[in-house]
Amino acid sequence: MSWLSRVFHRRRFHNDLSAEMRAHLDEKIAALIASGMSSEEATRTARREFGNVTLLEERSREVWRWPSLESFVADIHYAFRMLRKSPAFTAIAVLTLALGIGANTAIFSLVDGIILRPLPYPHSDQIVYFEWLNKTEIIPDLSVPEFEFFRDHASSFSAVAGFQGVVDEELNQGPSTRWLKAGFVTDGFFESLGVNPSLGRPFGREFTRENGASAAILTDSLWRSAFSADPGIVGRQIILNNQNYTVTGVLPSGFMYTEPADLFVSVHLGHSLADEGLNTDVIGRLKTGVSLTQANSEATLLGRQFLTQAPASQRQNSGTLHLDRYQDYLASDHRETLLMLLSAVGLLLLIACANVASLLLARATSRQREISIRLSLGAGRRRLLQQFLCEGLLLGVAGAAAGLAVASLGVFVSAIPWDLPSIDRIALDGRVLLFTSLVAIAVSIVFGLASFFQTRKLDLNNALKDGRVSAARRSRTGLLSALVVGEVAISLLLVISAGLLIQSLHNLFQEKLGFNPAHVILMHTPFRPTTTDAAIWNLERQALARIQTIPGVQSAAVVSVAPLHGGGNLPTQRDGHPEDSIGGTEYRSISADYFSTLNIPVLRGRAFEQSDFTASASVAVINETLARKWWPGQNPIGDRILVGVYQGHQYFSAPPCQVIGVVADVKGSRLAAPAPPMMYVPASLGSFNKSTDWVIRASASAGLASSLQNAVTGIAPDQRITVLEPMAQLINGSASETNFEALLMSTFGALGLILTLVGVYGVLSFQVAQRTHEIGIRIALGATRRDVWRLVIGKAARVTAIGVVIGLLAAFGTTRLMASELYHVQPTDPWIFAVVAILVLLVALLAAYIPARRAMKVDPLVALRYE
Amino acid sequence: MNNQPRDLFPGALEMMILRTLKVQPLHGYALVQHIKRASDDLLQIEEGSLYPALQRLLKEGCVKAEWGISSTNRRVHIYHLTPTGTKHLERQVSSFEQMLNGIARVLSPVKS
Repeated sequence: MSWLSRVFHRRRFHNDLSAEMRAHLDEKIAALIASGMSSEEATRTARREFGNVTLLEERSREVWRWPSLESFVADIHYAFRMLRKSPAFTAIAVLTLALGIGANTAIFSLVDGIILRPLPYPHSDQIVYFEWLNKTEIIPDLSVPEFEFFRDHASSFSAVAGFQGVVDEELNQGPSTRWLKAGFVTDGFFESLGVNPSLGRPFGREFTRENGASAAILTDSLWRSAFSADPGIVGRQIILNNQNYTVTGVLPSGFMYTEPADLFVSVHLGHSLADEGLNTDVIGRLKTGVSLTQANSEATLLGRQFLTQAPASQRQNSGTLHLDRYQDYLASDHRETLLMLLSAVGLLLLIACANVASLLLARATSRQREISIRLSLGAGRRRLLQQFLCEGLLLGVAGAAAGLAVASLGVFVSAIPWDLPSIDRIALDGRVLLFTSLVAIAVSIVFGLASFFQTRKLDLNNALKDGRVSAARRSRTGLLSALVVGEVAISLLLVISAGLLIQSLHNLFQEKLGFNPAHVILMHTPFRPTTTDAAIWNLERQALARIQTIPGVQSAAVVSVAPLHGGGNLPTQRDGHPEDSIGGTEYRSISADYFSTLNIPVLRGRAFEQSDFTASASVAVINETLARKWWPGQNPIGDRILVGVYQGHQYFSAPPCQVIGVVADVKGSRLAAPAPPMMYVPASLGSFNKSTDWVIRASASAGLASSLQNAVTGIAPDQRITVLEPMAQLINGSASETNFEALLMSTFGALGLILTLVGVYGVLSFQVAQRTHEIGIRIALGATRRDVWRLVIGKAARVTAIGVVIGLLAAFGTTRLMASELYHVQPTDPWIFAVVAILVLLVALLAAYIPARRAMKVDPLVALRYE
Repeated sequence: MNNQPRDLFPGALEMMILRTLKVQPLHGYALVQHIKRASDDLLQIEEGSLYPALQRLLKEGCVKAEWGISSTNRRVHIYHLTPTGTKHLERQVSSFEQMLNGIARVLSPVKS
């Protein structure tokens, strides 16, 4: 039997040893009887010569004992018993810890997945992102000429590539077709990410030339689902939107980029209008041995060269070309949010710890006798400390286990509204588990010490006499009050943060949309790139006529892009005024009833009429913002706008539009941004956009969806409809980020309040129980119930008030850190501060209510009888 | 509680156990009888103190225990000397002899 197995099979070992010693005695007795002794005498002699069986057995066992381990096991056993003896305390403590640790685990998982863990590409720290920095902003997109210039002149990179977004494309396979998401990338894209196709190879530069052949690289899942994992796919032609693409490779399974795509196709870099817009995400891979600083100094130089050498029309950006680590770039939008959430859950954990600590401190009264007895029986302080640590550890581990369960509910993770390649990797993994365990252990040590240190001032005589400890009382009451002050202050800070975010959310929803989304349904129809403007207008016209006959439909219209559903802009200039130019005026082509359908008021002039859709002359309606910008204090009606012209430079030719009306502002693509300058033209002019949004105002929505679909597919049977939902949903979507933050922070704030409530209640109950005797004397001496009530409530109010003041000061100092998360709210909004302060005070007084009533009902006879 | 005569010095009992087991494997009772007989009952050994000593030797790997049947048909542990035990015995004996020599030298002048 090995040493270790003896430790773990103690019971069997003990039985074996006893049996062996018994056998020895039996044998000796038998031998003595054989030598002539009486059985009684033999037994006595044998026992005398053998010695104290129990003691010898104990000493034999001690040989094997690993002293600290066995006493540790004993401590754990003991701790278990102690925790089971007070289930309410244990349940509240474990639950409190579970909330604190669970929230921390969940948020740490987010931070880990988004900020800490490397992107899912080899040597991902070598991948960099190109952006322009100027005094006021970061411009993350580059134009094609810029991209080509940097790619061709930079020497710090082993690859530089561009990404132009994901577009729906139709895959034609004989008679059958299916819609796919195609990512448009340049050569070098997969080299930059460091991903090698599992089959074939990446495509070369010849596939990105203007009018050159096209190439495609399939994802593993598309290769399996659409091409039955054909190993001979490389080199074959596939047809997307009736165009040929040569398949050059298949990606390894699990490949992910920021936007999900089924395949990646070569983008053709020409010098059309689209190519001079800022539409390309540029990434690069640093050569081995080149540092980010070295690459950045080259980038600064190249940026400057481009700005001096490029033709004027290509100089759209200014400032400094800057490289950011790709991961940092992706995380940059979320870093502040995550840090805010991390601080919030850290504070929540602090409250949880304070709470459990105060519970432990309060509970210690009932254990004073037990501890005194153990001390007087000779238990060492060290041994007691060890036991308290054990209890703390047990609580910590139980809390961590329960917390992990809380965290793995995944409630938070599934609600994240962000697009990141790492979003799928956010999971509760071993590292998060380690983090939780560390938190649990740290917390448990704090608890162990907290309960231990109050045994220091224990007066053994008094404690044993009446179970009451007067020497330690004052200091413990002070410590408890300090804990309550801390809890109140922290939860106040949390609730104020939550309040600011809720106010932001409220402000976002109060934001003047400029249109009425009630009872409006949005439908989206994407068209093939080859569809002509005339064909689109033809379909729109006929389908609108059908839709207007559907029962319940009040009015219907089309628009190239509905409010909050994206954007689309063109360079424009006021005719004859090159100084009045806008690089991107939002451009919407609409049908006649658009303004009336969305209840957008016409402020000046008139809306479009049927004749505007057939006339040869171009007309436009502009929004207030554009009118104010170009015609401040003047009448724009009759003036003309040049589309495709910027500061006198013509990018493309389009007939000038005569302004016939001004309408009220409507939100552009974002709820949180002011309305951009916008112009509307008749849909018959064409939209520069291969998709259409339909807005339908209807009194009843039952069965409407299928009628709407039929109206469109009745004219174009294979027309896709990708969105069909109430417009109100779009507005919710625009606020999803703030919504997510407000939801989490209010959850944390509410948890903090609940924990504080429990904490204040626990501490006051303890204090009232401690002072029962004193209260009894007071009542006996003539204090009224009212006085007693005032005594307890007054104490709670004083402690809470101190906490509130500290919390308010802390909030004044720290809420400005979350200014970027707020919308139209001052970080020190006095109204929110006041309301939250009152709320926290009320919660604390509510918690004090029950103990105060208990104190009022103290019967002086009962209270004094124990004396 | 512990007024019985003790071992002469720590380790003496262990040494005698090892020496006895070197001749043949024995179980606890037989071991005690052998030691008593060999010392002509000069050493007052509390019989039970054999067991803590045996446990120490087991832990150090000097002896091994196997289940067996004693001559009186009882199921007992039979203790064997291991190679470690043999080496340990040799070291103990030689250091014991050195000690005896030392003591004898210190004591001899007074004697003469």
